[in-house]
Amino acid sequence: MAKNLFRIAILVTCFALLTGCWDRRELEERTSVLAVAIDVVEGREDLYKMTVQIPIAIKIAGSSGQGGGGNSNAVKIMSVTGRTVTDAANNLQLRLNQKLFLGHTRVLAISEEVARRGIQDIMDGYRREPQIRRLMWPIIVKGEAASLLKIKPQLAQIPVVFLMDLIENGSKMGTIPDQTLGDYFVQTSNKSMEPFLNYVQASQTEVRWEGIAVFRGHKMVGAINDIQSWSLLQLRNKQRGGDVIIPLPGTKNGYVTFRPHFVKTRLDLKGQHGLASYEQHGHSATYYCELQGDIVEVTENLKMKPEEFIKKMQALIKKEMEARSSKLFTQLQKDYSSDILRLGLALRGHHYRDYWKKHDWRKDFKNFPVKAVYTIKIRRLGMEMQ
Amino acid sequence: MSQQDGSRQINTFSLWQQTSLITSTLIGVGVLTLPRTTTSRLYEAGWMAPLIGVVWVFFSVWMIASLSKRFPGKTFIEYSPIIWGSKKRPQQGRWLSLPWVLAFLLFMYFSTAIVSRIFGEVVVTSVLLDTPLEVIIITMFLLAQMLCMHEVEVVARINELLFPLILFPVLFIALASFQNAEWNNVLPLYRASGKALFEGMYESVYSYAGYEIMLIFFAFAHENNSKARAGFYGITIAMFVYTLIVLAGTAVFGYEELQRVSWPTLELVKTTKVPGLILERLESAFLAVWVAAVFTTVANAYYAFVYGIRQLFNKGILFQRIISALMFIPLFFIALWPQNIVDIFRISSYMGMVSLALNLGVPMLYWLVLWARGMGQGAKERKSGG
Repeated sequence: MAKNLFRIAILVTCFALLTGCWDRRELEERTSVLAVAIDVVEGREDLYKMTVQIPIAIKIAGSSGQGGGGNSNAVKIMSVTGRTVTDAANNLQLRLNQKLFLGHTRVLAISEEVARRGIQDIMDGYRREPQIRRLMWPIIVKGEAASLLKIKPQLAQIPVVFLMDLIENGSKMGTIPDQTLGDYFVQTSNKSMEPFLNYVQASQTEVRWEGIAVFRGHKMVGAINDIQSWSLLQLRNKQRGGDVIIPLPGTKNGYVTFRPHFVKTRLDLKGQHGLASYEQHGHSATYYCELQGDIVEVTENLKMKPEEFIKKMQALIKKEMEARSSKLFTQLQKDYSSDILRLGLALRGHHYRDYWKKHDWRKDFKNFPVKAVYTIKIRRLGMEMQ
Repeated sequence: MSQQDGSRQINTFSLWQQTSLITSTLIGVGVLTLPRTTTSRLYEAGWMAPLIGVVWVFFSVWMIASLSKRFPGKTFIEYSPIIWGSKKRPQQGRWLSLPWVLAFLLFMYFSTAIVSRIFGEVVVTSVLLDTPLEVIIITMFLLAQMLCMHEVEVVARINELLFPLILFPVLFIALASFQNAEWNNVLPLYRASGKALFEGMYESVYSYAGYEIMLIFFAFAHENNSKARAGFYGITIAMFVYTLIVLAGTAVFGYEELQRVSWPTLELVKTTKVPGLILERLESAFLAVWVAAVFTTVANAYYAFVYGIRQLFNKGILFQRIISALMFIPLFFIALWPQNIVDIFRISSYMGMVSLALNLGVPMLYWLVLWARGMGQGAKERKSGG
């Protein structure tokens, strides 16, 4: 009998303790933040302004009788200031009836001004916070970061959902880099590369992806536009980038549009293009990039045979792509001196003894010979044969 | 020696049960930090550490298995006095073997405390933020107490049952995370010095500790000559898992970032997205399964400790039940002894050193004594007698 009693006692204790819901909090007992924006405060150098976007569950379509009428009211936007990001979050908590929950935060918008000053101290807080997911997207906003949260996109009820879809769709199509917070962390701690983040501009009703904000350390040093970003995507991530639209030479207003479908990139670190630079460095980087794709638009009839046309177009696109990539290299090396191509990583991996140990990559990247050689393969001409 | 249950000799552990006993004891909290500890000395080549470190583990487990083979049906506690003393002077054998037996028992005891503390630390810092550490530790202890209420064949069955539950999630995480791997992170293959290789190997030692429970459990093997094989299989599986986890961690994060995260494997889970977005946040599910992995480590070690005490005092199952409940009380305070996370990691590193000395030293010493006394070859005649 005593044995059974003892067993029951243990069982009861276990049931009481093993429920695993010590810090249970229902969904409606939390204030979920969908997006955080960080700005500077005018005139106060030492303060950050944090703006958060909180969805109001009851006003989102389908949840109650009202339906999806007023999408402008589906979210609440609040701004607070603080000396650090955590301080601002604490100040925000003082104004909220429920506990702040950052586990669903998907977008971290940082204004360009803050980014140019350096975002190390912002990122430190997010590194330590277990609620923050590494798959969240940090985004640099041209102008005020809070404006990104205030847009009224009309295509989605919650502004941030619109933004998230924009990035997610873009990264699926290969036109926008899927640059997450985790990637940023890795790139800043790795000594052989520099980080970059997506760069957007927001207006009243919409948001536009502008390209890539280039960092050196934790400081933003500049931005590259969408066309150069696509070159970067092709060379760095083997993603296809956007359509290539080139004016047709010898015509008044004719354009040809090439849509890449498959990208193959190979990096050669030993090639000796430009013998002078090779002798100086002993190493050089050549990207061999093969683009396969279709011609999707030709606005002027060139009156030539398809075979000849394809040959001519391939040469034209190759020239354009190489010009684009060399512009990208000039910007990264001469203007920003920031290796977001991950060239250093490849060099460290493959030429550790003969190159990496003897050079300071952060200084050396500026003058390292880099070049891209494109191979264009036109597969189809769309539905038309001409 | 064990008169109380001597009539009922339990020889029920199959080869598979022994294997799962070893593997599930090895795989525990060590996996959560392994990518960081191994890469701290070996940089990119961290994955080599478990591969090289395993050599002495094989040697050690082979010695333990052959000791057990030499005295079939007897645990370490039982055959120690036989090795140290002759039939005429059993008292001398008991006294001479006491330091080694006590060292072994104490090590089991302390590693139970440290493992449960590290587990509690992980849960508290990453998932259940508001739950007191004490509750998690006590819950784990209660589970282990449940196991200690039973005879030894239950231990084998529990381990056999939980084994796939531990193995497959870890394998799944490692393989799924390879989709965001950057292979240049693992290159150059080797650049650290030979000294660093040794130190890196040593860092992986603590994650291998735990197979010394077989000093007790090998006694219950179904066949006498399956022991070394079971040890070999069990440790090979663990080695495979460890190498894969370190490789995945290094490939995804790079060794610099690994140095900055406290639970690299957990971060690996956080960045892993299963295609199709079925499971977007894996870490809660992973930690839920992880309870099983830690339970087998804590409970097996504690069971070995309690069983050892029971045999040392030559008592029955009732004594085991009482002593296991009592011994949890000081254990709880030992588990809470380290003040902070830095302390814990330092102590767990010391424990690795102790385990190295103990696991390699004690069986070797025992064999030396056996040879010196000319008992090394006596297995055959003993077998017929025992």
